Amino acid sequence: MTTSQADAAEGPSRAAGALERAKTAEAQQYVLAGVLVLLFIVGAVLKPDTFPTWDNIRNMLTQASVIGVLAMGMTFVIATAGIDLSVGSMLAAAGLFGGILVGDDGTSSLVFIAGALVFATVLGTVNATAIAYGRVVPFIATLAMFSIGRGIALLLNDKLPVSLLDLNGGSFGEPAVFSLAWFGNGRIIGIPVSVYVFLGITIAGWVLLNRTRYGRYVVAVGGNREAARIAGVPVRKIIFSVYVLSGLLAGVGTVLLCARLGSASPVSGNLYELDAIGAVVIGGTSLAGGRASIVGTFLGVLTFALIFSLMTQLNLSTEVQQVTKGLIVLGAVLLQRPEARY
Amino acid sequence: MSRLRLLICIAAASLLAVGVAACGGETKTVTEEAAGTPAAGGDSGKTVNIIASVPPTDHGWLGAVSKNAKSQAEKYKDVKFELLQAADADSQAQQVEQAIAKKPDVLVVLPQDGAALTPVAQKAQRAGIPVVNIDRTFTKPDAATATVLGDNYQIGTLAADYIAKELKCKGNVVEIQGLAGIEVTTDRTKGFAEQLKKKCKDGIKIVAQQPGDFNPDAGLKAMENILQAEKKIDAVYTHDDDMAQGVVQAIKTSGREKEMFLTGVGGSEDAMKQIAAGGLYRATFLYNPNMAATGINMARLIGLGEGFSELVPPEVPRNLVVPAAVVTKDNVKEYEKYAFN
Repeated sequence: MTTSQADAAEGPSRAAGALERAKTAEAQQYVLAGVLVLLFIVGAVLKPDTFPTWDNIRNMLTQASVIGVLAMGMTFVIATAGIDLSVGSMLAAAGLFGGILVGDDGTSSLVFIAGALVFATVLGTVNATAIAYGRVVPFIATLAMFSIGRGIALLLNDKLPVSLLDLNGGSFGEPAVFSLAWFGNGRIIGIPVSVYVFLGITIAGWVLLNRTRYGRYVVAVGGNREAARIAGVPVRKIIFSVYVLSGLLAGVGTVLLCARLGSASPVSGNLYELDAIGAVVIGGTSLAGGRASIVGTFLGVLTFALIFSLMTQLNLSTEVQQVTKGLIVLGAVLLQRPEARY
Repeated sequence: MSRLRLLICIAAASLLAVGVAACGGETKTVTEEAAGTPAAGGDSGKTVNIIASVPPTDHGWLGAVSKNAKSQAEKYKDVKFELLQAADADSQAQQVEQAIAKKPDVLVVLPQDGAALTPVAQKAQRAGIPVVNIDRTFTKPDAATATVLGDNYQIGTLAADYIAKELKCKGNVVEIQGLAGIEVTTDRTKGFAEQLKKKCKDGIKIVAQQPGDFNPDAGLKAMENILQAEKKIDAVYTHDDDMAQGVVQAIKTSGREKEMFLTGVGGSEDAMKQIAAGGLYRATFLYNPNMAATGINMARLIGLGEGFSELVPPEVPRNLVVPAAVVTKDNVKEYEKYAFN
């Protein structure tokens, strides 16, 4: 059971519809898993020496981790029938904020990480306040933050990147545990730390969505806001919380990305929100709200990472990649079509 | 309750206003008047009014262009200078239109998009205001009185020469390109490929070409995948110093920095530091943001009705191509003073 339903808050006829939608979502996950396997086989056949290697799988998971973390937050936001267009901009702004906080000679990873997490959460809270209490449409509120976040990122250091290469925990060579460089290049039994972070957040997200009252509330609010309110769900608080969560996870994305880059760049994270939203949608979470799947999002993120890796290995142009990605999103939405009857 | 909401709305609105102003959503005007009395500089006692228009400076190189233009203008006591920064091609056209109304002696334009700014530049020329065009060309010859360009094709050929020599015409090369679909990128790619072919026939193979969008994180990701696919890489030609930092990270993380070397384009301080230190970053090809300063000099001479004394008779040349230079460990000391950041 990877799909949560707002049964509690819905009438009997809607509950039947919800059941049907649950089946659709599950079917979509199987299809997506199939696509993933198919892509992998294609890669293995075309590039037998370099594609199906442990090293490349590790590489794909690492690359997926930043978008993956953002997509987990996005799943909660979209489950409430919202959208967050600002995650890429918040990511860049948080990186620059953390970088400025550390300064040129600083070596404290903790300062950077805490600074980035707090700043991203603050920006997320601005979104949350505007949407939950200011009643601004999520599309508009986060579009504004898309612009504000990028602007702040460019402003903070006069449009220049901040180097973070010294944040390796002070030791030479292997980065110290919990230093910024460790999040980028560190490994535990051969698996990069950023992959653990991604998997950890995925599992936590799954538990939160499927096994807690909070998760049921999130889906209920997205399914039918009025019904949820009548059933006693604190609608505003729930909506508020998902945007704060999305901000916080953008901060986590900042840490993972800046750790790998060794710098915080004001132009990084450009249009990451589109990849995150795309991954969520092909995973079967409904943009209309009321249906969400963490496993689907996870598979969606992996699909995008696989496509990117495969296309680069085949030395195909990015245009081909964009077309492929777009077709997959379109196909996924067509699969969700039965929902359109409601 | 409603008062609370009102408060929140006001807070949000003011935040928004700050944000819009912050991210260049609207057009910014920076007026910089040269210090000192006008008569003190030129021999004719005339003051030259110059208005310069540049695209949004969200990239190290464009930032350096604005800075250089401004500081060059400040050197002359007979120049009154105004710098306009536009958010996009459309607003830049409007801005130039407004500038024409102010009747400056000379206009200096670095267009966001050469084609889009051509009509308004023609209009300025017809109104009797000479236009000096920098870096990205207008599409009609009558749109500018003088043009100062960098040579992107030459950057490609210089990179090819350098890499061919270092690899003795044998090996595998990876190219991390700039933003796909703009002339700068195509020229840097074409110059490289054609020169490599000319020099080495098929001795050097370009095994992978991917765009990194002039952006370090896109460069990082592209290179990470290429490192997976290609088991033997001898050199990496990147189109930009900022972007190259991401590529450097990818190579370092893979532990293959001994296997290959890398070149950049632009001439950023970071790149020059790494070149001086030796190792992976072997060379950069200077795409000199000082061409803006040259443009200001030319605008001033046009305004004063003077010319380059080396030309007979002294005139301002119609086309000036600033040569690209190769910066390596051997000569990085000479070029450090031109580094931007």
